[in-house]
Amino acid sequence: MDDDKKLSELLKEWQLPSAPASLDVRVLGPRKPWWNLLFTGSIRIPVPVALALAATVIVMAVALLHRPPAPPAASVNLADFQPVKDMHVRVIRRSE
Amino acid sequence: MTDADLQAAYAAHKDVLFRFAWRMTGSPAAAEDLVHDSFIALLRNPAAFDRDRGALRSFLLGITRNLALKRARRERTFRDLDDDTAISPSLDIANRERAAIVAEAIALLPPLQRDVLILAEYEELTLDEICRAVDAELPAVKSRLHRARENLKRILRPLLETKGLPHGR
Repeated sequence: MDDDKKLSELLKEWQLPSAPASLDVRVLGPRKPWWNLLFTGSIRIPVPVALALAATVIVMAVALLHRPPAPPAASVNLADFQPVKDMHVRVIRRSE
Repeated sequence: MTDADLQAAYAAHKDVLFRFAWRMTGSPAAAEDLVHDSFIALLRNPAAFDRDRGALRSFLLGITRNLALKRARRERTFRDLDDDTAISPSLDIANRERAAIVAEAIALLPPLQRDVLILAEYEELTLDEICRAVDAELPAVKSRLHRARENLKRILRPLLETKGLPHGR
């Protein structure tokens, strides 16, 4: 084994740990809770998708505004209501 | 540079920079400071990174290396930072852990030998990448690397000759 290779192997015995979490905080700032995203988060969407979404919302809003009014419910007059006078009850069984 | 770009660059290179800075300074606390300052420098002036001149890793290593040299000059921990031909003193290795001896031997190297040696041996950069990181020509880098290895062989000769002793205590 040549000297350079021996030296390289010896040098590799000095190993170091990865960067500590405290460095993450210093460089990137403190980690926020996930629900913070609901209040302060933002998303990036392509312009064509944004335009398609906006057009869909506009079309739906216009359709809602121009929807014809629902017909009034027909009134029911119970003045001439007659109860059944002679009721015949017939039981239907599975074997019939 | 967006937050997402910074986060991606940080995730990809933080460990390399941290280990390099630690080996350059011999101190994890100083290494944290240097890596932090390197990313701040990138954030403040992202246009300084020219993709055509090499990878972001080499660029960031160059920033960290320059900050380490500045720090060394400020703290006067080296006799002559510009003397890349300096011969390092010998080291007492009796009853010491091998990794600690290696760390001390590397700390004895002049900074202009130490940076190229760390980049070549530990981070396994190519000579071209090292040239970009230390902003030097290829012959100078080769020469410094050769001198660094010769110095280390001389300092660490007892360990190289008696493999396995003294061992990890």
